[in-house]
Amino acid sequence: MGKMGKVTLGMPGPWAEDDHEAADHYTTKVGGVPDWATPDINPDLLKCSSCGGRFYFVAQVYAPISSSNVEVEERTLYVLGCPVPKCANQSDGWRVLRVQKYRSGHQSSDSRQEEKLPAECSTSTSSVNNWWETDVWMQGSGKQSEGGDDDVDLKALSQAILEAASQASCAKKQNESIMCSAVAAKDCEMKSKVKDSSIAVLPCFYIYNEEERSLHGAIEKQYSSLSIKDDQNLPADSADDENWEAESYEYDKALGADRSYLKFKKRMDVYPEQCIRYSLGGKPLLAANDVGEPGNCGLCGAQRHFEMQLMPPLLYYLQQAANGQTTYSPQDWSWLTLIIYTCSKNCFDGSVKGKSGDSCWTVFEEYISIQNEGV
Amino acid sequence: MAERGGERGGFGRGGERGGFGRGFGRGRGDRGRGDRRGGRRGGRNRDEEEKWVPVTKLGRLVKEGKIRSLEQIYLHSLPVKEHQIVETLLGPQLKDEVMKIMPVQKQTRAGQRTRFKAFVVVGDGNGHVGLGVKCSKEVATAIRGAIILAKLSVIPVRRGYWGNKIGKPHTVPCKVTGKCGSVTVRMVPAPRGAGIVAARVPKKVLQFAGIEDVFTSSRGSTKTLGNFVKATFDCLMKTYGFLTPDFWRETRFSKSPFQEFTDLLAKPISKVIITEDVERTDV
Repeated sequence: MGKMGKVTLGMPGPWAEDDHEAADHYTTKVGGVPDWATPDINPDLLKCSSCGGRFYFVAQVYAPISSSNVEVEERTLYVLGCPVPKCANQSDGWRVLRVQKYRSGHQSSDSRQEEKLPAECSTSTSSVNNWWETDVWMQGSGKQSEGGDDDVDLKALSQAILEAASQASCAKKQNESIMCSAVAAKDCEMKSKVKDSSIAVLPCFYIYNEEERSLHGAIEKQYSSLSIKDDQNLPADSADDENWEAESYEYDKALGADRSYLKFKKRMDVYPEQCIRYSLGGKPLLAANDVGEPGNCGLCGAQRHFEMQLMPPLLYYLQQAANGQTTYSPQDWSWLTLIIYTCSKNCFDGSVKGKSGDSCWTVFEEYISIQNEGV
Repeated sequence: MAERGGERGGFGRGGERGGFGRGFGRGRGDRGRGDRRGGRRGGRNRDEEEKWVPVTKLGRLVKEGKIRSLEQIYLHSLPVKEHQIVETLLGPQLKDEVMKIMPVQKQTRAGQRTRFKAFVVVGDGNGHVGLGVKCSKEVATAIRGAIILAKLSVIPVRRGYWGNKIGKPHTVPCKVTGKCGSVTVRMVPAPRGAGIVAARVPKKVLQFAGIEDVFTSSRGSTKTLGNFVKATFDCLMKTYGFLTPDFWRETRFSKSPFQEFTDLLAKPISKVIITEDVERTDV
């Protein structure tokens, strides 16, 4: 369908050291605390529509788009789920939000981050400051060091950092500066943010991506683990004086599983650990034949197309992790896959375009469909 | 804190454009080297084929070891959707054998296209048997696919006595008949020492089921291998469906594994699960 026939798989990476640790909105991770790209999220979006309870944050996926007509770098999808079993078995108990930024020619550093820098960083420890100092001085051109080596002048330091950050925001390709300021901002946030352990979160792990190889070779490799006795490969026909009638083609059938599920399982077995399947505009891997009507985008009216789906190993890892911990784990969740459709035109909310600066983020709800196990 | 800050420098988009895959930065491993919870996942391990990540809820329960025998699954009529469940529960006693490979031909514009249809029977010789049929372009793929389908279709087989209830059950408990297509297969209890009196193909299925003595009689077009073998399989399925005086006792309802092993107690079940005490019937 789409120009990308290839599928990218999100495989499970390392666990987070602490479930409440924060990352940035460029990270793809499961569980933990959501890293909202913009702080102004409507709190109603974080509540379940059917029961009114708080959603659990399930996954965030950094998904920039680069195509001929649309190019968005700042784009993240957030998946939220309701822990109540009644809601969780229907599509109403799930929500996916698309948060993206209108391209106004500025780079990634949010104005919010820049404001925070001088305020928060003065409280940092001196050892961190020194590290900062060296990096900032390297990037900022022609900056003079105000204080001596032993005597760190905090005011001058914060001034310099602000200037360096604004320099970084204008440059397009200065990755080191961006990382530096982003890292610096994050460090401030980390220290200033109180570790809010009171919010119940799911166990957190990070995702790395891998491209799905073509099926044929992979399936053979997968089947090699099943043992076949060599001498029974083809039963001896010589002793067989029966003439059997010709057989016709027969579709796969098992007692408890139908054909579409068997195809789903076959592709799962090639990459048994896949947690996320991503294929913008591609075809989803359905576990059952019926998927709800994705409909049209609520904002611009364009057709919605498939973007990604969450797979059962994600649930398995969350439940495994929560077994030994006090972190809340949704034992009642038993979906087979969650399919996410997003607007094919990747639209923006036109009303925020007029704002100056870089902080015109749009938060928009997309369509998510659940496929259950069926018994 | 300084160390963490330094390592986190690996984040970032790296100036690359593109979709989900290329949008990832480096430094995945920088975040969190924690091994606190049970078991590293290490997504790049070599033995991905042996590692089973369960997909269904039943699979997760079996992997954890909360369900220890197939009988618990049969008791609540839960559909088995992963072949690894049966492999885990039956273990090494589960044997498989290819009964027949038949070519299946289809006429296309460019000549004939031949595919192979494999009939595989799996069983442990002690009351569990499964039958799998798979068509594929290559023989090896067909065989392996049929083994998986056979494991998904493992059923319990009830055995009984012909006369005196001495020793272990050795034959079918009563006369049963199974049908598929035009073929009907009828199985009649036989005394010890009679052996399996059947054609070659259903005899294999009955051996894997663990039936030692039985008389069979078939009717219909038994030249169709698929229907013949499925009729015997259907017949074996019915052994536990036949109500005998042993089952007259009132059934005790027990909790389904899904209910038993959830941490939250769900709402009380609206309908009653009627179960048969399958574990008591043999002997």
